[in-house]
This record gives sequence, structure tokens and C-alpha cells, in this order.
Amino acid sequence: MQLCRVEGTVISTRKHPSFNGWRFLICQPLDCDGRADGIPVVALDSLGAGIHQKVVVTSDGLAARRAVGDDLSPARMMTIAIVDEAEKEISRSEGATTA
Amino acid sequence: MKLGKVIGRVTLSVATPGLEGARWLLVSPFSRGNYLDSMAGEKQLSAEPTPVVYDNLGGGVHDIIGYIEGREAASPFVTPPPIDAINAALIDKFFYTPSESE
Repeated sequence: MQLCRVEGTVISTRKHPSFNGWRFLICQPLDCDGRADGIPVVALDSLGAGIHQKVVVTSDGLAARRAVGDDLSPARMMTIAIVDEAEKEISRSEGATTA
Repeated sequence: MKLGKVIGRVTLSVATPGLEGARWLLVSPFSRGNYLDSMAGEKQLSAEPTPVVYDNLGGGVHDIIGYIEGREAASPFVTPPPIDAINAALIDKFFYTPSESE
């Protein structure tokens, strides 16, 4: 699973029928310091995550197919949690010395 | 799902059974820059490898599509074909407002 920040939404009318009624959120994966890291992905959202909120995105297709209720759906990325706070115990420099 | 811009189409001459007559799109995957630049209308191709995406939604060149990679790409079929990228959505519009604050 990936810690991401919601940075946008996507509007699509012509899509796989199993996605009807689902929100698409543009989620930017974050590194351990909370900075943008990598390419944004579009995830299905049923939790109502707001813009710039941190979410946890899973790429488990089985859970996504069950959530959309269609075994023949190509659903894959999905938000499964909205993050209140993500504390990091080991800072980057400290982590480097112990590893 | 990842966004990408359709830059071409592929026509297969010989294909494994189950893939005949399918429609294939050449897609330039969006980089983070594409998300920002497309808002400003300036477009450039991404340096990443160009996936060939199975399409049954009718995506054309210059369209922005949402494609899904991995095993899930083969799940919308009764007998799953050997594909790992499928066009799942034609994107009408997207709003991208990155927050540069921490």
C-alpha cells in the first residue's frame, strides 16, 4: 500500500461500467518526509477524501473488484484509509547511521 | 489507474489466439510534469517506455485515457487473454492542484 496525498480529481463519462458512480482521485505518492515522490496515480475513492488530504492507496485488484461489486472489473487502485497523522520515528539522517 | 495520452495505434498482423481483431493504442504515460503542463496546454512525450494498451472504449489519438496495468487488466474477460494494460476510462477533464506546502 502507498501513502499518498490527494491532489486532484478526474472526470470521465466513458469508462468501464463498473466504475459508474465512483470518484476518481489523483493521488500523489509521498516519500518518508511527506514530499511528492513518483508519478501520480488515479484511485477509486469511496471515503470522500478531500483535496490535499493524506490517504492510503492499495493496488489490490481483488479488494477493488469486491468494492465495485463486479468480478469482471479492471479496478485496481483504491483509497482504503484517510490518514489523520503519519508520524515518522526515524529521521532520514538517523536512519542512515543505524541501517 | 494511470493517465496517459494516446499517441498512436497498433495493428497486429499475427496474434496469439483470443487477441485477434482487438484495438490497440500507443500511449505516452503521464509524468508528474504532464499533469502540470497539460493544465497549461503545453504537451511533451514522456521518456518512459510506451505501453500498448488494449482498448474497447474507442480511444483515439490525442485523447487522454486512464489505463490499468497488471493482472487486473485481464479481468474484464471471461477467458482472460495475455494482456497487462487495458484502457479503462476516456478522461474528459481532470483538475490537478498540487500543494507544494509540506
